Amino acid sequence: MKNLAKKIISAVMAITMIAVACVAFSSCSDAKKNYAANNTEFYIGASGPLTGGAAVYGMAVKNSAEMAVEEINAAGGINGVKIKFVMMDDKHDASNVSTNYATMYEAGMQISLGCVTTAPCKEWKTLSYEDGLFFITPSASADIVVEYDNAFQMCFADENQGTTAANYVNENVSETKIGVLYKSDDAYSTGIFNKFKSTLSSSKTLVEASFSGETVASFATQISQLKDCKFIFMPIYYGPAAQFMDEAKNDVAPDAIYYGCDGLDGIDTSVEGFDISTIPQEVSYLSHFNSQATDGAAKTFIDKYVSKYGKETLNQFGASAYDCIYAIKAAIEAAGNKIGVTSSPSEIGDVLKGIFGGGFTFSGVTGDSITWNKNGFVNKSAIKYIVKEKNS
Amino acid sequence: MDILSILINGLNVGVIYAMIALGYTMVYGIAKMLNFAHGDIIMVGGYAIYVFCAMSGSLPMFFGAILISVVVCTLLGITVEKVAYRPLRGASPLAVLITAIGVSYLLQSLAQIIFKSAPKRVAVPDLGKIMIGELGIKVSTLITLAVSVAVMIALSCFIRYNKIGRAMLAVSEDRGAAELMGVNVNKIITITFAIGSALAALAGLFYLLQSPYMTTTFGAMPGIKAFTAAVIGGIGSIPGAMVGSIVLGIIEAVCDAIPAVAPYKDAVEFSILIVILLVRPTGLLGKKRREKV
Repeated sequence: MKNLAKKIISAVMAITMIAVACVAFSSCSDAKKNYAANNTEFYIGASGPLTGGAAVYGMAVKNSAEMAVEEINAAGGINGVKIKFVMMDDKHDASNVSTNYATMYEAGMQISLGCVTTAPCKEWKTLSYEDGLFFITPSASADIVVEYDNAFQMCFADENQGTTAANYVNENVSETKIGVLYKSDDAYSTGIFNKFKSTLSSSKTLVEASFSGETVASFATQISQLKDCKFIFMPIYYGPAAQFMDEAKNDVAPDAIYYGCDGLDGIDTSVEGFDISTIPQEVSYLSHFNSQATDGAAKTFIDKYVSKYGKETLNQFGASAYDCIYAIKAAIEAAGNKIGVTSSPSEIGDVLKGIFGGGFTFSGVTGDSITWNKNGFVNKSAIKYIVKEKNS
Repeated sequence: MDILSILINGLNVGVIYAMIALGYTMVYGIAKMLNFAHGDIIMVGGYAIYVFCAMSGSLPMFFGAILISVVVCTLLGITVEKVAYRPLRGASPLAVLITAIGVSYLLQSLAQIIFKSAPKRVAVPDLGKIMIGELGIKVSTLITLAVSVAVMIALSCFIRYNKIGRAMLAVSEDRGAAELMGVNVNKIITITFAIGSALAALAGLFYLLQSPYMTTTFGAMPGIKAFTAAVIGGIGSIPGAMVGSIVLGIIEAVCDAIPAVAPYKDAVEFSILIVILLVRPTGLLGKKRREKV
């Protein structure tokens, strides 16, 4: 008798649990809730590395975007509506993105700057596509980041950086032996490297060297592989680049040229204790922002940023984020009354992607007459920014 | 890339792993616990050197920095042992392992809060290279090698001939019997951690002499690789730590030299760890222990 009672009770409990679970799951797949229905300000969200090795880029984006939002709000906002900007820390790790995304989305996020770095942004692009959330990233440069139609880039895509660098080498560098140092466990670095390799002329010999991991004990092996090259392409971040150049300064020829991409931004200012003038070679990188500009929109931005936040986090990532906020403002104004403060993310996303992909032009700190393709890539001119000339 | 430069590059990296592995293997051999926070004690030592070298670049200051870093690491090691490991003396080894990993993350996070995460260049003196024909060996590598060998010999003699050293050996063989013979087990284990942490400070110093860039994850990966090296050579065996480290360093240099394999070098190293554990768990120099039932 006791056994039978036990069996009946456990059966009833099991059925109840299954029923409750079914109800819970079915309510999840209900029509998408519009979390922005109660917004009183436009909510622009972003995720980036506020701590960790790439923090200088995340902080630059956060500071610059906040500066732009303060300026716009002080002038009355967009069509009279103020902006609320929130940026969460993802530590340059894709596994932190979904939590950040969900937190901000459920708090009413309507538009976003996506992520600052490539690997996290690949996660963001999938999440935002499901919700139709528009994003324009200041710096996540892998081509695949803008795979879906709700995604745009203010920065050069890796395809562009790798191709531009390779074309530059094909046309301007007479050396036949071209060295490259890339980080094999970083999507950004391998992305640019692969495009560089495939665009490089077959008359050049490519000497490849790679490293991996957050810290490198010594670049001795890579130096012995690259030391005979007079032109070394480095699609890596400034921290390891500084360490490599330091360790290699007596091995690599003094008239060699180091050439990098946007990851090298900050190499002269952001490594404490590293004095770039001790490196005999020329150091330059591909950029859309000249942090030593003496006139124009760039100079105005530099002056405002430095007086507010100091020089340590002044780089093209921040300038790009500043432009992203102003570009969003211009696009919303162009949309007229199709976008309101309580519009859902997918409604806003539909309108914005039509505007950005439909001939919209924007002039800002990182370029004049910037336009976008329907597939999200940006069109603007690149500068070869020489951080440091060769020591004579 | 010829064989000789690969060997020299392997030596560059291997001697650093050797200094770290000596500390690991000593603590495991005597206290029978894997101190996964060892790599982060190295990081603390590195930051101590950074702080003092930043005050002035002079040579006496540099030696002072080394001394202070050894003292700081020793005190840190003793504190960690007293606070995190001693209360778990009777618990399962798994609990101690998890605690060690927790201490490791704690140290990394504290360092990140205090020093921020941007890489910092430490003002250590640049010792240059010695050229043998066409090949250059870094002076710092030779110094590290010399010190590692000296430490290895000193430790082996200490354990065999010194009273405290013999007590450490006794504790490692049979803790209960040692206690019955009058050995103060707590004191011995504290001394073990102290010596291990002092070695960690030296490892940090040599690491910086090799390449003077500090980040908060400075010690984490080398710590794990040194642990792998210690296992390959035979965990608990001091000469084993040296041999395992040099072997691992050379394997790493070989992988680095082949562009197609280089991205997978970590995978290769840890696969070797798995193979060794499957085929010869006591490592290259470890002795097979017969357990009497």
